[in-house]
Amino acid sequence: MTPEVPAVLAQLAQVAARNAAPGVPDAERASDLAITAMLLTLAAEVWDGAAARLVEENRALRALLGQAGGDDDLRLSALTAENHGLRAKLIEAHIAAEQSDDAARQDLIWAELLASTERRKLSVSLV
Amino acid sequence: MTHPLAPRVAAYLATRMPAASDVSVEAMERISGGASRETYRFVARWREDGQPQKRRMILRRDPPASLIDTERRIEFEAYRAFAGSAVPVPEMLFLEEGDGPLDHPFFIAAEIAGFQASPQVLFAGAYDAVLPQLAMRKWTILGEIAKADPAALGLTGVMEVPALDACWTRELDYWEAVFDGDEAEPLPIARAAIRWLRAHPPPRAQKLAVVHGDYRTGNFLYDAAGEIHGVLDWEMAHLGDPLEDLAWGFNPVWQFGRGLAGGLLPQADAVAIWERASGLTVDPAALHWWTLFNCVKGQAIWVGSAAAFIKGGNREPIMIYPAWWLLNAQDRAILKVMGRL
Repeated sequence: MTPEVPAVLAQLAQVAARNAAPGVPDAERASDLAITAMLLTLAAEVWDGAAARLVEENRALRALLGQAGGDDDLRLSALTAENHGLRAKLIEAHIAAEQSDDAARQDLIWAELLASTERRKLSVSLV
Repeated sequence: MTHPLAPRVAAYLATRMPAASDVSVEAMERISGGASRETYRFVARWREDGQPQKRRMILRRDPPASLIDTERRIEFEAYRAFAGSAVPVPEMLFLEEGDGPLDHPFFIAAEIAGFQASPQVLFAGAYDAVLPQLAMRKWTILGEIAKADPAALGLTGVMEVPALDACWTRELDYWEAVFDGDEAEPLPIARAAIRWLRAHPPPRAQKLAVVHGDYRTGNFLYDAAGEIHGVLDWEMAHLGDPLEDLAWGFNPVWQFGRGLAGGLLPQADAVAIWERASGLTVDPAALHWWTLFNCVKGQAIWVGSAAAFIKGGNREPIMIYPAWWLLNAQDRAILKVMGRL
């Protein structure tokens, strides 16, 4: 998810510390705690499957783009950086398929894009 | 406990109300949400002609960084333009564009108290019987906004006036630039949608209209009878194609998972209400273009929200939630409108 989960958790720790101090107006403390709870819930939901999702998607993207390689570094930051690189190349491949009127290629790319949203879908998704 | 801003707001009010004395600010509290502006409610008290006075007010202040960047004066003038019209809006009181009094620009308005704005409250069950009435009012008011003459309202002197055949490029250029400047990751679905929009431009606007820019369930005050008492959040107001405003509410994320336009009624019914109120007609292909555009615009806003956090301009949790909650949902909405979901 963007922003990345570790940066968000670090910020939520600061928000919690700020609200532990006296003098915070009640309504602002309540608002901070409510949104912190919602964000922690989402972080908990994506935590277990994050690495698996990225490895699966990077594998699918390499196959679609005809690229060799694999994910040797399994830290989420490394997997995410690799994913961003592959998705940038997917945009280029999509433009090329549109310019060459390659409908079959476009369909394959749209299928991967749809799959990417299924991988990222949250339990609270509005769509 | 006195809110830290209260004495500063009281001092400001004293400078703007020369006939008032003993100005004080009480019961000041920040209202939840407000990722684009900080919003506070408070009670102002003062003496005038020897008599004690009291008024509930709202302060809307720019945050250090926002999920959208708009001019305070444009929002203020949009509210003021519709005062006393068929479009209910809160009364604007004071506009401050300098950083001196409260560190950032702000305006102060009269509070419309005692009503709800929350979609979650609206859809929790207690309001089910009045949802059809509320839907009628929602799209009738939007039709009134579309019908209004921007020049007669004095807004052509405040807002940029695009040519009728350039309304779409002005908006698409603006929001694509937000992606270019703010995206923290490649967004292949949004980029594909932008390419489609440029390859299939809509017809010229049938008139130049005031576009609220964020007219959706959640941005108006409603009551238990299904009446609307105030249209809020005009910070993205501009002049443009009236279909843009109608289509913003048809962005699938604003169905709130209920499968209905705005969570309220079928889209065709909403269109019929709007056509009757505005006197305008809806070209289905043009409406589709603007609906997809609004999905792209929505995604740009969520991208901007994430960017404000990532770049450090605003680290408040309210900047994170729209990005986490809506980036993927908005991608899915784009796919849905493009017929690929």
